[in-house]
Amino acid sequence: MTVEQATAAAEAGAGVASGSARPATGRASFLQVVRVIWMREVLIYFRDRPRMISAFVMPIMMLVMFGEGLGNSIATLPGDIGYRQFIFPGMVAMIVLMNSVFSGVSIVTDRQFGFLREILVAPVSRTAICIGKISGGATVSLVNGIVMFVMAPILGIDITLEVVAKLIGLIALVSFMLTGLGVAMGSRLRSVESFQMLSQVAIMPAMFLSGIFFPINNVPAWMDVIVKLNPVTYAVAPIREIALSEQLKALPADAPFQITHVDWFGYTLSTWEEIGVVVVFGAAMLTIAIRAIRTTE
Amino acid sequence: MTPTALRARGSTPQDGRVPPSVQVSGLSRRFGEITAVDGISFEVGESEIFGFLGPNGAGKTTTISMLCTLLRPTAGRATIGGYDIVDDPAGVRREIGIVFQDSTVDERLTARENLVFHGELFGMAKEEIRPRAYHLLDRVGLLDRSNDAVITYSGGMRRRLEVARGLMHWPSVLFLDEPTVGLDPQTRRSIWAYARSLRDTEGVTIFLTTHYMDEAEACDRVAIMDYGKIIALDTPDRLKARLGGDVVSIAGPDNEALAREVRESFEIEPRFENDAVEFNVEQGGEFLPILLNRIEGEVRSVGIRAPTLEDVFVTMTGHQIREAEASEEDKMRSMRQRGFGRMR
Repeated sequence: MTVEQATAAAEAGAGVASGSARPATGRASFLQVVRVIWMREVLIYFRDRPRMISAFVMPIMMLVMFGEGLGNSIATLPGDIGYRQFIFPGMVAMIVLMNSVFSGVSIVTDRQFGFLREILVAPVSRTAICIGKISGGATVSLVNGIVMFVMAPILGIDITLEVVAKLIGLIALVSFMLTGLGVAMGSRLRSVESFQMLSQVAIMPAMFLSGIFFPINNVPAWMDVIVKLNPVTYAVAPIREIALSEQLKALPADAPFQITHVDWFGYTLSTWEEIGVVVVFGAAMLTIAIRAIRTTE
Repeated sequence: MTPTALRARGSTPQDGRVPPSVQVSGLSRRFGEITAVDGISFEVGESEIFGFLGPNGAGKTTTISMLCTLLRPTAGRATIGGYDIVDDPAGVRREIGIVFQDSTVDERLTARENLVFHGELFGMAKEEIRPRAYHLLDRVGLLDRSNDAVITYSGGMRRRLEVARGLMHWPSVLFLDEPTVGLDPQTRRSIWAYARSLRDTEGVTIFLTTHYMDEAEACDRVAIMDYGKIIALDTPDRLKARLGGDVVSIAGPDNEALAREVRESFEIEPRFENDAVEFNVEQGGEFLPILLNRIEGEVRSVGIRAPTLEDVFVTMTGHQIREAEASEEDKMRSMRQRGFGRMR
């Protein structure tokens, strides 16, 4: 007898005993609801082969395209940080940004295929549904971020396990914040097409004006304003500070400009302060997403 | 009566009457100037198959939406299994299972995963979920396909899966909103067979809406709804008996003249239907020779049949159930259910 047959037989046996007799009905706890919603998102992701494969292909493509192509024609950075080394943490942030925001599309497809109704008619907390959705999307982005680190040695990036361990926590936080944005958008939109358009419109400036591709402290004044208002800036900076901590220490004190750290009117934010901004923005996104799901339908 | 008293299935209260599963009084819903549901009242008994029959736009889905707590009523009250739909929506939702008009299964998951997801969402105990899913998949004949993704399922299989899922958390009332729209007749009959057998084994009350006459015939009791009001409520047999006797139809080159003759000779008010003059009489077989003897106008065809719920509907409302309008929508829906025009 195979394992499957044995399981089936056990289920059938149990079916006679309890499958047809009504037991006392319980009620799903907040965490149970979060878990089941999260579980589905993750299950669907790992079942989607093309999506999995692209998670591995993306980093190579990005690093080759930007690290080599763009790096060769870009002005040299202070110290001896190579452009490829500089852009790697930015690429991690970019992968997380794209995956997180796009994961909000799952709400739109759930609505389109009707499954959202199945979730919304259950006697459970909408807040739990929302947190489950965000955690699911954030987990997927985190996995994609981790794939970047796995590929790092192959791509010739200098990174230690200790740094990776620190970064995983931070990336989880950033994923949660940005997935919150995606879910908030997704619960307001009715079609996949409009979601894709809107997320492009949101992601493009957020990506290019966040310090992913170039140091933020060497830009014209008007752009500086946008960069400082862009929440993604505060996610990219600490990721880079942790990833490049060794190289940054070795930077000469008389460098013409800082390659990372956000500057508010002459006050330089510490890594923790930048993370603080991420937390505040994440909380705001979570609130908006919860409200959006609460009032949907 | 407390909700817990009602939940104990199979127990009969002291007066010997089975408590109603669904109790509705004066329920109304307005959308701006339009009154979609206009002060309806009725009761549905335990383990009953209760049908709402009416054309599209009669207020059937609006009523179901209110009973399922998806829509707040403008006026009136309703309880399900003792829980009030306004005061305790969470209680009502645990007590009911819903099968919507349009598919709400996740087609990327397997049938079993859809049921497990539902069980967990409804807080069922872990050790209870898998046996229950197995039992229900078996009941609806999907056991051998239970580990296939739902995307590979036919429209009828999806419906059966949705019925199984609706029953997963042991609801006392199962709502089916147009359960067989867009399915072929054979599949519709099989869905019905499954629904009936589940009613018998699970003891669940089935509350459905339909605009199909044959579906309504299969119900224990039918409420005929039109323009937001219940215009008749009884067993299908008694509703048909109200018309009295048989439906006789005659047709000729001048139906107007035939109708006038019928009206004058027999004091019967006939109606025009299917290019014929129709009316109800007792003992249609014996009446027919008398009719043909007395009528002077040319008759090209005669017919006699037992009345259907369609006749009841036409007699009570003065109009047909607008099948044509419904069928366009059915086509669209059946295309959606089979996954045409979708990104795969």
